[in-house]
Amino acid sequence: MNCADLQHDVLVDLVDGRLDGAEQRNVERHLDGCANCRALVEDLRSIRAAAFMLDRRELRPATFARLQAAIAAEPAPKGRLLDMSLSGRRGRRSPGGGVPVWLGAAAALILATVIGVLPLMNRAPATHDDAAPAAATDAEPEVTVESVTAEFAAAEKHYQKAIDDLQTIANKDTGELDPQVASVLQKNLTVIDQAITESRAALQSQPSNSSAQSGLFDALRSKVALLQQTVELINEMRKGNQAEAGRRFQTLSQ
Amino acid sequence: MAPSNLSGDVKGADLDLVGRIRAGDGTAFEQLYKQHSTRLYNLASRMTGAHGEADDLLQDIFLLAYRKIGSFRGESSLGTWLYRLAMNHCLDVLRNRQTRMGHQTDSLDEPDAAPVASPVPVVGAVSRIDLERAIDTLPPACRAAFLLHDVEGFGHQEVGTMLGISEGTSKSQVHKARMRIRSYLAHGTKKIEN
Repeated sequence: MNCADLQHDVLVDLVDGRLDGAEQRNVERHLDGCANCRALVEDLRSIRAAAFMLDRRELRPATFARLQAAIAAEPAPKGRLLDMSLSGRRGRRSPGGGVPVWLGAAAALILATVIGVLPLMNRAPATHDDAAPAAATDAEPEVTVESVTAEFAAAEKHYQKAIDDLQTIANKDTGELDPQVASVLQKNLTVIDQAITESRAALQSQPSNSSAQSGLFDALRSKVALLQQTVELINEMRKGNQAEAGRRFQTLSQ
Repeated sequence: MAPSNLSGDVKGADLDLVGRIRAGDGTAFEQLYKQHSTRLYNLASRMTGAHGEADDLLQDIFLLAYRKIGSFRGESSLGTWLYRLAMNHCLDVLRNRQTRMGHQTDSLDEPDAAPVASPVPVVGAVSRIDLERAIDTLPPACRAAFLLHDVEGFGHQEVGTMLGISEGTSKSQVHKARMRIRSYLAHGTKKIEN
């Protein structure tokens, strides 16, 4: 074997450790006597190893919520991920039997709330990067206490409407929302709402305080997460999957 | 996981998941997302070099998957199907970017880097930052094969299926990428000869 015999397929298999025994020995004999090829193979192995060890960047949790919102607006290949059509269906049982239609409506309403909150979620807390060019600053709408408050108020309005509608539908169809689920949901929402209130107060007194900004967005993210968990729970109930619904209720309760 | 070795269990599980997605089961789509999103996010980010826009890119990919899920027939694994769709989307993004920047080329590929002849290794310990920069300089075709094979760990047969090329071409592209990266790390971008 000489240098010319080390074609790309041999080199790739060698570096990947996929040469058979005889070929491997043949190549190694050549490498023993050829410093250039030996150096090349060593470099290629270093690159291969470094590539495999490259960092894996993690996704932001809000990414899936954005995707859910986008998909909810899509015509589905066959039906929607969540049935958003409520007209004329309230008060009836689902065709599959057993699972009340209001649960689907609840899922849709809560998802609509998540969508309402999303514009806030997609906005990163304001940062102060002195090196950033002015044009970049101009390109993004400024995040102010007023804008955050207005957007939150709008989102909160959606949220309250969803809860009200949910309760109305639940009362009409089943007489009541499962008291245990409702209690846990309300308890968690109260805690999160308290955190949001405190964060907003802190932000109003110190608008440029990055900790206060982060606190508000963290609280809002928690609210979205709770709503998402509720949607998941409702989905499982819609499917009649009691075991999974129970597991998700436990998650919701934590 | 390669098409020819797709087991009945894997194929059945994939078809079941697709069926649930088509039937409107939100948890099924979430399952697909959880299985592949982190890997696809990193792949798309490195493939396009659009590290700051990777969230949007990932959303586009999953929206495309949602729209086209009805075309999945189980001829390859669902993962392979999804990666192929993702890589096609990334290549479209790169082509559109080239067009906008006025770099009209007939091919997304470029000639090999000139070989570096040295009796001693020239790369040494490869830093993550240098390697990321070197990957950004690769022509799209060999960058795709390199990312799928060396970074993500797919076999050449799968890489071929994902990129619509033969197994041999996958090996060739991976080798080309490694040689260009070696050249970059040895000399820096200015000295890479095309």
